[in-house]
Amino acid sequence: MFFRIYKYSLLRSTRDRLMVFWNLVFPIILGSLFQVAFGNYTEKEVLFHQIPVAYVKEEGADGNFTELLEILETDSELIQVQTVGKDKAEQLLRDGEVEGIYYNKTAEETDGQAEGIYDNEPGKETDGQEELGITLVVQEQDMNQSILNSILEQYERTCATLLTIGKEYPEGIQEAAKLLEEDTKYLKENSMGAASDNGILDYFYSLIAMNCLMGATTGLLCSVEFKADLSALAARRVVAGHSRFQVLWPDLAAKITLQFIYIVFTACYLMFVLHVPLGEQWGFLLLTIFVGSLLGIFLGFFIGVAGRMQYSMKEALCILIMMVSSFFSGLMMDGMQRLVEQYAPVFARINPASLIVKSFYSLNIYETYGRYLQNLGTMLVLILVLAAGSFAMVRRERYASI
Amino acid sequence: MGKKVVEIENLVKRYKELIALDHLNLAVEEGEIFGLLGPNGSGKTTAINCILALLYFDKGSVKVFGKEMQPDSYEIKRQIGVVLQNVAVFEELTVQENIDYFCGLYIQDKMVRKKYVEEAMVFSGLEEFRKFYPKKLSGGLLRRLNIACGIAHKPKLIIMDEPTVAVDPQSRNRILEGIQMLNKEGAAIIYTSHYMEEVEQICSRIAILDKGRCVASGTKEELKSMIKMGEKIHMEVMNLLPFQIAEIKELRHVYQVEYQDGMLEICCSGGKHNLVHILDYFNSREIGFGRVYSELPTLNDVFLEITGKKLRDSAETA
Ligand SMILES: Nc1ncnc2c1ncn2[C@@H]1O[C@H](COP(=O)(O)OP(=O)(O)OP(=O)(O)O)[C@@H](O)[C@H]1O
Ligand SMILES: [Mg+2]
Repeated sequence: MFFRIYKYSLLRSTRDRLMVFWNLVFPIILGSLFQVAFGNYTEKEVLFHQIPVAYVKEEGADGNFTELLEILETDSELIQVQTVGKDKAEQLLRDGEVEGIYYNKTAEETDGQAEGIYDNEPGKETDGQEELGITLVVQEQDMNQSILNSILEQYERTCATLLTIGKEYPEGIQEAAKLLEEDTKYLKENSMGAASDNGILDYFYSLIAMNCLMGATTGLLCSVEFKADLSALAARRVVAGHSRFQVLWPDLAAKITLQFIYIVFTACYLMFVLHVPLGEQWGFLLLTIFVGSLLGIFLGFFIGVAGRMQYSMKEALCILIMMVSSFFSGLMMDGMQRLVEQYAPVFARINPASLIVKSFYSLNIYETYGRYLQNLGTMLVLILVLAAGSFAMVRRERYASI
Repeated sequence: MGKKVVEIENLVKRYKELIALDHLNLAVEEGEIFGLLGPNGSGKTTAINCILALLYFDKGSVKVFGKEMQPDSYEIKRQIGVVLQNVAVFEELTVQENIDYFCGLYIQDKMVRKKYVEEAMVFSGLEEFRKFYPKKLSGGLLRRLNIACGIAHKPKLIIMDEPTVAVDPQSRNRILEGIQMLNKEGAAIIYTSHYMEEVEQICSRIAILDKGRCVASGTKEELKSMIKMGEKIHMEVMNLLPFQIAEIKELRHVYQVEYQDGMLEICCSGGKHNLVHILDYFNSREIGFGRVYSELPTLNDVFLEITGKKLRDSAETA
């Protein structure tokens, strides 16, 4: 029986033209529009835009920092260093050619010199530790500048110790660079806007997230056909002589299958037709899409079984949640995630669309799976909460009124 | 007395303030077509939803096939076929697929199901429309599909809630015949309607519901014998005078006379020769009259007399 209901459920969904349009055609159209809007780009540009920085090194200054910057430029491709004279550096900063200047001076001279450089500029200066004599001057404080700053801090914090024993451990600097790289990725991910850097890819991730959440309307349909006080159809199925769930499972399974297929299709279209570099870890991409589909369907199911609102209201609610959630994950605006992270951190952490976007994102930029699994885990917890909530609400089998 | 298929005892169901069922008692026996007759809002649908364990009720008990009916009485439910008042079919499935879907909830064997689905389509006259989607069906055909979905699995008890609303007389007759056929094949049937003609035509026993109470029940003959009226005589008479009306009222068995727009309506209790007596009176007084016809009481009269109001506007029925 399971399979027959499953089959019919699939058949019904594929014949529902409106559903097919919103779940399959619409994302593809939107994706294509994004593509038209953002044009071509290479993966590198999309993912990591190297931060341009000027480097002013005095004679006899600490060479380890130079080495670190080199590693960060060539291996990690995090920054783009221009080693120049002081005047040239200031010029570059004023023109916005670089995001900051690292001054590396011989230790004794440090004091006083770094200050007052921009007396009449809105610039901000971050003092390095005096013994090291390294300072950073930036024009304004934002994402990239904080990365530059954290490079300096990391260098001071970690490198200093490593370097004191640097002779015995020449790999010290390598390690520091590695640490920095991870740190920076974290910074970038959590301020995702990382605007200029990966904003474009964000749009596509958000698009997929939206596609996942569209499953809510499908989940809603499932609930309507499940609860006898919501539709005559449900009543008819309930009186048919099986546990209600025996009819629900195949229905849900079919909806999830289809949602998954729709999104995989969208993703394939983005990757192979539009050449959007969503990532190459197929297994995990699929897993994310699957969990995303689950999340969407259960969200809708939950809304369906909760409360006694009219169907049209519930449907509107599903769509509203989908839109709001996607909006705050950056579907329509660059840098949205960063704002949310800043002003509503809790929301940012449970916003379903953000979670989906972050999962994709963390897959793409980290070599380890910690962050990814954390995001995926949060999604699973959300699904569990929604499912448990739903089933708590449908425990009753009789109704006060139909 | 056959075995009881459905037994309702002292059933009380409230919707907040409103008492929808007020100590309702009903018993349906094997092999019966049991009619539940009542005007809009009398509680027919509510009673059925209680039988099917879809609704909570405040008091009383419902037994089906001798066992307390519960939401998880799957064994019992499997032997019931339900045609609900609201059409419940899938928009995205064709006629045939719809019947197969619902039949499949009961019948697992593929070959048997195929046969049953085919029979249900013949039964409801939908063979030509098997590839149609519900949206393309007329209101009457849709009703027939609704019925087919409910009875395809050949249940032992069929519950139908106003299945013939909005169905044309031809289709309706076909449906009624079909129901009688299902009954002959052994199914007990509970049939609700506010069309008394239908109920009179097919039901072997009838309960009349009003405001959630069963005001009378029995075979139609029993019901009709319950009331005073034995015969209703209509006459076209011009210019009848009040004293003459009073005289007519004095005739034997006559208990009520109404005169309006040249139409005289005389209600008689019992008696075999009422019409002869009345015509004798008119002849002896040399009062001219036009058409004369006599009617036996209908369920409408039963309802009218018991509740003091009309069951429904009889002009509605074809
Ligand atoms: N869900 C509900 N909430 C509140 N009151 C209800 C509800 N359903 C029915 N009622 C009320 O209960 C009473 C019985 O309704 P019910 O639907 O059982 O009547 P019915 O005999 O089936 O009428 P109809 O011939 O119109 O189908 C009516 O007065 C109705 O207004
Ligand atoms: Mg009703």
